[in-house]
Amino acid sequence: MRRYLLQKILSLIPVLLGISLVAFVLGVISPGNPAEIALSQGGYEPTPEQVAQMEREMGLDRPYPVQYLHWMGKAVTGDLGMSYSSQRPVASELARRLPVTLKLAAYAMVLTCAGGIMLGCAAAFFHDRWPDKCIQALINTQLSLPSFWLALLLILLFAENLGWLPTSGNGGPKHMILPALVLSSASTATAARLTRSSLLAEFGKQYCTAASARGISRWRLVICNALPNAIVPTVALLGNSLGGMLGGSAIIESIFALPGIGSYALDSITNRDYPALQGYVLLTGVIYVTVTMLVDTVSMLLDPKVRLGGQKI
Amino acid sequence: MKTRTFTRLMAMLLTAVMCMGLAACANNGPTETTAPTVTEQQTTITEATESNTQTSTVDPDAEIVLGAQRNLAPGEMDGYYCSKILYVWEPLITQDENATPIPALAETWEMSDDGKQWTFHLRQGVKFHDGADFNADAVIANFDRMKLGVKKSSFYPLDINAHYPNLETYEKVDEFTVRLTFSQPAPTQLYNMVNFGSAMYSPKGFDAEGNFTGICAGTGPFKITENKLDEYVLLERFDDYWGESAKAKTIRIKVIPDADTRFSALKSGEILGVIDLGAIPPALAVELEGNPDFAITTTKSTMIRFLTLNGTKFPFNDVRMRQAVSLAMQREVLTNDLYYGFCIPTTNILNYSTPFYKDFPVEENLEKAKELAHEVLGDQRVSVTYLYNGSDATLKNEAELIASWLTEIGIDCEITPMEYSAQKELMKAGDYGIARMQQGLSNSEPSTIFRRFMVTSGDHNQNYSLGYQSDEVDELMAKAAAALDVDERLECYNRLQEISTQEFPVVPLFNDKSLVAYSTKLTGYDAKLYGIELPQVAWAQ
Repeated sequence: MRRYLLQKILSLIPVLLGISLVAFVLGVISPGNPAEIALSQGGYEPTPEQVAQMEREMGLDRPYPVQYLHWMGKAVTGDLGMSYSSQRPVASELARRLPVTLKLAAYAMVLTCAGGIMLGCAAAFFHDRWPDKCIQALINTQLSLPSFWLALLLILLFAENLGWLPTSGNGGPKHMILPALVLSSASTATAARLTRSSLLAEFGKQYCTAASARGISRWRLVICNALPNAIVPTVALLGNSLGGMLGGSAIIESIFALPGIGSYALDSITNRDYPALQGYVLLTGVIYVTVTMLVDTVSMLLDPKVRLGGQKI
Repeated sequence: MKTRTFTRLMAMLLTAVMCMGLAACANNGPTETTAPTVTEQQTTITEATESNTQTSTVDPDAEIVLGAQRNLAPGEMDGYYCSKILYVWEPLITQDENATPIPALAETWEMSDDGKQWTFHLRQGVKFHDGADFNADAVIANFDRMKLGVKKSSFYPLDINAHYPNLETYEKVDEFTVRLTFSQPAPTQLYNMVNFGSAMYSPKGFDAEGNFTGICAGTGPFKITENKLDEYVLLERFDDYWGESAKAKTIRIKVIPDADTRFSALKSGEILGVIDLGAIPPALAVELEGNPDFAITTTKSTMIRFLTLNGTKFPFNDVRMRQAVSLAMQREVLTNDLYYGFCIPTTNILNYSTPFYKDFPVEENLEKAKELAHEVLGDQRVSVTYLYNGSDATLKNEAELIASWLTEIGIDCEITPMEYSAQKELMKAGDYGIARMQQGLSNSEPSTIFRRFMVTSGDHNQNYSLGYQSDEVDELMAKAAAALDVDERLECYNRLQEISTQEFPVVPLFNDKSLVAYSTKLTGYDAKLYGIELPQVAWAQ
């Protein structure tokens, strides 16, 4: 097991280097002169002399590999540069905003786990009966609805018309319900679909037939026997969803006025704030691979086949 | 039993889904009723307030919550810390409804005969929020801060060279008098100093680099007590204010970037008003018309919208083609049908909020446009790229409308939405035909606009590849700069505006109106040239 974990951690190094390279290249290939962009934030028109001086200060006159190594060296120590638009360190901006995104992702993940697994179990339990068909329709709807549209629809219903929940803002659980519902919508549907199909596959296996023959109740069969075996792919999927939630909440954060890293990325795109974007790409990349590794570890603990390299026991 | 419970759960789930579907069809209020008329220049929909008189007693000190689309207090690293519209800091000179300079922290002033010296007599008995006295030393400290270099800002750059062109010295004459000396006559200097041009802060609040060390301390009727970046800023009435106290005790301004969410927050009562530029899109504002719970006010805006034509290439390097484009524009249709009348058609490059603005008739003549275009194109048609900022959905409809008019005069547009910065890159490289742009007016002195668009070396003339060149313009600008008399300068500016309506360095479309909406639970919510009169905002009794 220790060897497995060591292999996993070592395999992360080239991935993280790749992410850092992508983040750096993003700033290089983006149109415009970064020095000029940095100076012209807020409508100021810099002179060519000011641009030249800024280029020197930013080290843009050096070869790209040197610039990359310099940037990476600073990034490793937590220095991601200064934001062009806010004039604040990108690392501190991300640190200030990350808890909001983590909170939103946590709420969304709870909804995904609870909703996805419950719906999947129910659909499998009522296989080919009307509840199953209703759940299938719900899943298809959830997968089809664009998140920004669903967000506006939920705000209209629960905030504007019914007044049950706040429209936006960073606050307690009430503020998180709507954005978490939207963020978890597609992943809940995917988890439900996967849980259902995995459970149905398990139902066809001999141990389920044997359990049924011994008179075990159908609910007990689902929850105690089939689900522990069927949940492994769902756990892997949930892990990927968590990574996606942390990195893909930009529009939702913007609509619900949540000052997380997603809305920061959106603002950075608008302002052509490349240091901020580079920091965002690097951070979300690192989070994604870390979460994936954790999920792999959990899968390994849940499934001996993974632990033993796919050998049958 | 378990099955029955589960079936009930499923039924509840389905009901929720159906509710979501019904939300799309939900009634958004009495928008179909006869809408009250919205007239120009700070006109409020009065029917709304009359029909919604509050009968219950309201605690006048209860917190008022408003919404804005951006951070109105970006904080320590911003040159101004917060926007003028929060009434936290005050300038030496402000402006009235007609954008004419009026006293603020400077009570009186005089210009020397040669126009090179301005002496300002400061208001006495004024205190900053941190208890420091406002006097000549404080003004000099603020000038010293500006001298440290350009400070970036979300609003306007804090740039001493832009606000005080040709400034040579600034000095304290006595405890409440300061004098500015310029190397060139500066008869319109007051216009440069309006609002953002002469913001005053307590000198205790700067560090060596001129950045704020904490929440800024101004002299305004409100002070900031809490600033949660990207979430809200909390304002509290400043009880030692030298003038009339603010009516509201506390005002919280939330940041809600999305226009639809802001609108829902207003409708649900979560916020009681929206402020700042783009507070409410016209399409949403019309939904509030006729709703007795809400009112909207409008006034002039400093924003002008226009088309830039690539004058470095055929066919727009010919003035006749630029004239043809302008004549083909159906500006009334555009402003009424697409922007619900919340803007005013114009052919003048200068925004209508400055007192130097001259009104010119907006000519629309398709036949004349066809003739002029035919003189340039002959029997051929020309295909051009039409660029617009893809993040603004309205601009797509606008582009399609304009392109349909241009086909009449032989121009076929290839409409291309772009990321704004990438669009400006293409424009700078001269790799486009037509582009949709906008420009704000940072202060009432219009020379900046003429210089940027009409002077050969002007930055917009160059960066937008306008290719505009006029010896007369260059002469008029030089004459205006040397003019001691404001009337003489006005004469130059009038001629420059006239030239802009004849030669079209750009093709102006319309001036915006400043548009704000609020709940009729509030009073005193009047739109100003920039923002609202926040100190007058209070709970309706």
